[in-house]
Amino acid sequence: MLLAVAGYFAFSYRESAEQPNANAAPRLAFVTNGVADFWVLAGKGVEDAASEIGVTSSFHMPPDGLADQKRIIEDLIVKGVDGIAISPIDPVNQTPFLDRIAAQTLLITHDSDAPDSKRICFIGVDNYEAGRMCGELVQQALPDGGQVAIFVGRLEQDNARLRRQGVIDQILGREWDSSRYDKPGQVISGNGFEVVATLTDQFDMAKGKANVEDILSRHPDIAGCIGLFAYNTPLILEALKQSGRIGKVKVISFDEDERTLQGIIDGTVHGTIVQNPYEYGAASMRLLKALVAGDRSSIPDDGIIKVPARTIRKAEVEQFRADMYKKLGQ
Amino acid sequence: MKKVLGIFSVLVTVALVTAIISPAFLSSYNIENLLRRSALFGIIGIGASLVIITGGIDLSIGSVICLIGCLTPWLITVIGISPWIVVPSLLVLATGLGLTHGFLVTRLKLQPFLVTLCGLFVYRGITRGILADSTVGFGTSGSELRSLGTGRIPITDSFGLPAPLLILAVVALVTSFGLRRTIWGRHLLAIGSNETAARHCGIDVNRVKIGAYALCGLLAGLGGLLFVLDTGSAQPSNFGNFYELYAIAAAVLGGCSLRGGEGTVIGVLIGATLVQVLRNAIVLIDEIPDSIEFAVIGGIILLAVIADEAVRRAVARRSNED
Repeated sequence: MLLAVAGYFAFSYRESAEQPNANAAPRLAFVTNGVADFWVLAGKGVEDAASEIGVTSSFHMPPDGLADQKRIIEDLIVKGVDGIAISPIDPVNQTPFLDRIAAQTLLITHDSDAPDSKRICFIGVDNYEAGRMCGELVQQALPDGGQVAIFVGRLEQDNARLRRQGVIDQILGREWDSSRYDKPGQVISGNGFEVVATLTDQFDMAKGKANVEDILSRHPDIAGCIGLFAYNTPLILEALKQSGRIGKVKVISFDEDERTLQGIIDGTVHGTIVQNPYEYGAASMRLLKALVAGDRSSIPDDGIIKVPARTIRKAEVEQFRADMYKKLGQ
Repeated sequence: MKKVLGIFSVLVTVALVTAIISPAFLSSYNIENLLRRSALFGIIGIGASLVIITGGIDLSIGSVICLIGCLTPWLITVIGISPWIVVPSLLVLATGLGLTHGFLVTRLKLQPFLVTLCGLFVYRGITRGILADSTVGFGTSGSELRSLGTGRIPITDSFGLPAPLLILAVVALVTSFGLRRTIWGRHLLAIGSNETAARHCGIDVNRVKIGAYALCGLLAGLGGLLFVLDTGSAQPSNFGNFYELYAIAAAVLGGCSLRGGEGTVIGVLIGATLVQVLRNAIVLIDEIPDSIEFAVIGGIILLAVIADEAVRRAVARRSNED
């Protein structure tokens, strides 16, 4: 029976391979760097744009990191997609792989760029700039400075590194230089601030919360906690709540987790920097469709289409949340 | 107690060294955190140890944690079912999964490694499928249920006993009593030492083994419940990832032989605590970079097992001389 099934698939595959989709809708794919609610919004953007402009889209969230992402992309190439938008997990080391993909289909990057690869264009936020915006929130929340700690899923990703560097450079009052990199594991201080640690959790929630608790133990005078990935802030809030220090330690956030937004309303979170994942999805589909048709006019000279980040504080939060729910169809 | 002396001394040494380098280690807040984390991992470690005592293994613990940990908030907040129904049903489900493992291992004579490895894949896959990979949590609504995971009984102003520790205490006492003082426990140890001999003695080997797998499933489910009550949310793709290995490490560190027939509850608790103290120490001691966490844990576990073996041999030699 298995053989029969395999035979059927082999046959139908050959059939589709023999019929180049000259007049069929272009087949486009969107690949994320992992599984997160953030990406669910991007998926919605992909879906909406695809039905609007008449392309066939598929959306993929690799659950297990680099190897998994590679496997999915390779399978998409096998499937014969006309164009693909990828958020590279490890841009530098994935560059040779991305170049191979670019040789086989139209490749753009989103969310996190691989500037040295042969990708045609990057769609996303300037993470360094977004980091500096987050740093401004830290400065507002802690006008007298103090000890702060940074919590992030992993630092192997370009976007995480750049955000972190942006925050640090802003609060230390340094010049703009996105190529600077302060190694984690050392205390960085200046301008009245002291960044006592940057802790990663590799997406393990229990570990992420334990990291916050350990910092609260180790640095009783901690004044601010900064969560760089969507789920970090809710874990910071949990740990603060349990230690009875909620409201006393300032929390500055990235992204739009429900509990982060509620925290802003309640006053337990000072503010958050949000990207526009919906637009990543929608813009990727629009651009790839144009590229399939041979139209490159919408690509800027530097090959970067910026989707600006926004600062959300108490005044903006309700409107922002309503808009997000609308996009998710809730 | 002699059996756990080696591992206990390693735990004390690690704690002392950490406390000397980082005084914050001994702060009541940190101790409370450590007690809560050790309790959570202790519960799943006890489950793993029961199966290991029979000479089996359960690799599905992390995925059962994922299944129960994700379904709990989903059923309560998204579907809107009462926690009074959700919690007991999910614990029954977890026990049922364990029973199924036990049944497959004993009646169909399948390898425990294989059966539970399939469980590892299947339960995570099912969870991710049901939730379509989205994160689920209790949201901002403070469910009273959560106090089971986050609650505490205040002892002093700054120190309290975390609720999971009390749950662990009940689990540990019942298991310890079951292992040492009941026929079932005696049979369990006998089967682990020599299954054929146990069978010839008239022990219903299959029934006792199925019981061990069922209890392991139940405790993994309970662990999953408490983990999600503690963190507040769970992501199907990684919740509980590798936790079976922490549970197995705790059991083996605590003196459970992977060949079966040996193991004490107190040993497992010390083993679970050692792993959590190590993870804590890595964050508290500035000189140890975060990134080498696994290397440190692996290295210390290896040292602990060596120390344990040395102590056992010394004890055995002395009793021979007596």
